Amino acid sequence: MTNLEKYDHIFMDVFGIDHAALGEAFTFKDVPAWDSVAHLSLISQLEDEFDIMFEAEDILHYGSYENGKKLLAKYGVEI
Amino acid sequence: MFLNLDRHEQNKTAVKDDAGYSLTYGDLCAAIGEFEKLDLGRCVIFCLCRNCAGSLAGYLAFLNNGQVPLLLGAGMDKELRDRLDLVYTPAYYWLPEKMASEEGKAGLFSFCGYCLVRTEYEPYPLNDRLSMLLTTSGSTGSPKLVRHKYGNLEANAENVAKVFGWTADEKGICDLPMNYTMGLNVINSHLTAGAGVLLVSANLMDPAFWDFVRENEGTNFCGVPFSYEILRRIGFDKMDLPALRTLAEGGGKLTDRMFKWIASYAKSSGKRFCATFGTSETSARMAFLDPSLALEKIGSIGKAIPGGELFLVDETVTEDGMATGELAYRGPNVTMGYALSREDLLKGDEFCGEYHTGDMARRDAEGFYYVIGRKGRFLKLFGLRVSLDETERILKTRYPGAEFVCLGDDTRMNIFTTDESLAPQIVPFISAKTNLHNSAFRVFVTGEIPRNEYGKVRYSALEELVRNR
Repeated sequence: MTNLEKYDHIFMDVFGIDHAALGEAFTFKDVPAWDSVAHLSLISQLEDEFDIMFEAEDILHYGSYENGKKLLAKYGVEI
Repeated sequence: MFLNLDRHEQNKTAVKDDAGYSLTYGDLCAAIGEFEKLDLGRCVIFCLCRNCAGSLAGYLAFLNNGQVPLLLGAGMDKELRDRLDLVYTPAYYWLPEKMASEEGKAGLFSFCGYCLVRTEYEPYPLNDRLSMLLTTSGSTGSPKLVRHKYGNLEANAENVAKVFGWTADEKGICDLPMNYTMGLNVINSHLTAGAGVLLVSANLMDPAFWDFVRENEGTNFCGVPFSYEILRRIGFDKMDLPALRTLAEGGGKLTDRMFKWIASYAKSSGKRFCATFGTSETSARMAFLDPSLALEKIGSIGKAIPGGELFLVDETVTEDGMATGELAYRGPNVTMGYALSREDLLKGDEFCGEYHTGDMARRDAEGFYYVIGRKGRFLKLFGLRVSLDETERILKTRYPGAEFVCLGDDTRMNIFTTDESLAPQIVPFISAKTNLHNSAFRVFVTGEIPRNEYGKVRYSALEELVRNR
């Protein structure tokens, strides 16, 4: 599996959605199901999958599906 | 007036929410007067709550004016809410205007984005002492409600305000849902002290939450264990929150490690950490740990709040002076009992001021209590009580052909089923139904549900399956 596939799978698993739902519009503000529980679950699954440890500031400002890809690059994970 | 709302400084802000509404004590009293003119009489009203000024004003008015509100989360699954509707046939709904219009209902009175809707049901007789209703397991839509009596909420608000030492200068942050007993107590205990309440609907992981708290100089925070897990991950201990003075915890047991983390942070940053313990049946809180002892008594819920008494039922005492038994409480905040049907709302006081919690606890030689386990069939997921029996009922209703048993701990519910083909559907279904995140559930397929000779489920055999996975 490529990193993008892994990344997408985590989102699909955490939010219980199909691949088609992912994209620009998938943001913390616009997705009602993206609450604190889903967010914490997302963060810990990404950390486990890519063997990284997010800084607090990045957890708070994760923001969206797209922005998350940029953040991962900061930790040396190319999506 | 309820919580002495009319005796506090009338120009002072009582409530501010993150949707932009702000109400003084005078505004609240005037609103309660407006509701009074509607002359609603004695009846049950379903309040579909959000943490906002309109939601709160309705609750205060109903409590004050003699209606009996049942507080439910506005996000509750519609089917589960309809089930409660059929059982308790409320005469009115108090709900967000937007929801009312989406459901095609016309409001007869509006306030701060909320409106009152008449249903087709007629009011029916209620016990004279009945003041309010809360669910015992909100997310599963169980019809089992807690019957509060007049004086319960007031007594707990005052005694909690006293033990925390709240003054009119506080600004309590209410991030827990107001339809959740501990969230409601944060509100009541601040209002009874003439203080301000910050109602927040943004979640703890939203930068907007922290901006709101900072701008409005929130002084007191109250969270469930899961809230503190979030706080630790978002680097709460590095945040600059000079106005924040008190951190309180309730609604479940923190791990000792987390307890120590918060207590140490509080000590080093000149704040107080107050561990507390409560249940819906006791109108929220019954125990409080003196913050100066937090690092000494790690994991303790402290002692009874003023006006109350904690004790252990069937206690056994060991040589070192430790006593163990079921935690029980006496006090003016003990509710009247449960209701399972609307006929039960005529019932009088069955608890008679004494409640046995179903939690097993230990008391040390100095009289401090520690919760160590649970007797009953329910879990606390994300601080919310979830009935295992109710969850099984929901699953059996949805999938009549299969067998289900639910077990677990406060981190996860384990669902056992005999039907392998259902396995992939169960978690998405139950997660959507209960509004609890899918990470809280795990499914195990087993050839048959192990039972003893009397047909009772052998839970220990199922727990073995979990351990061996």
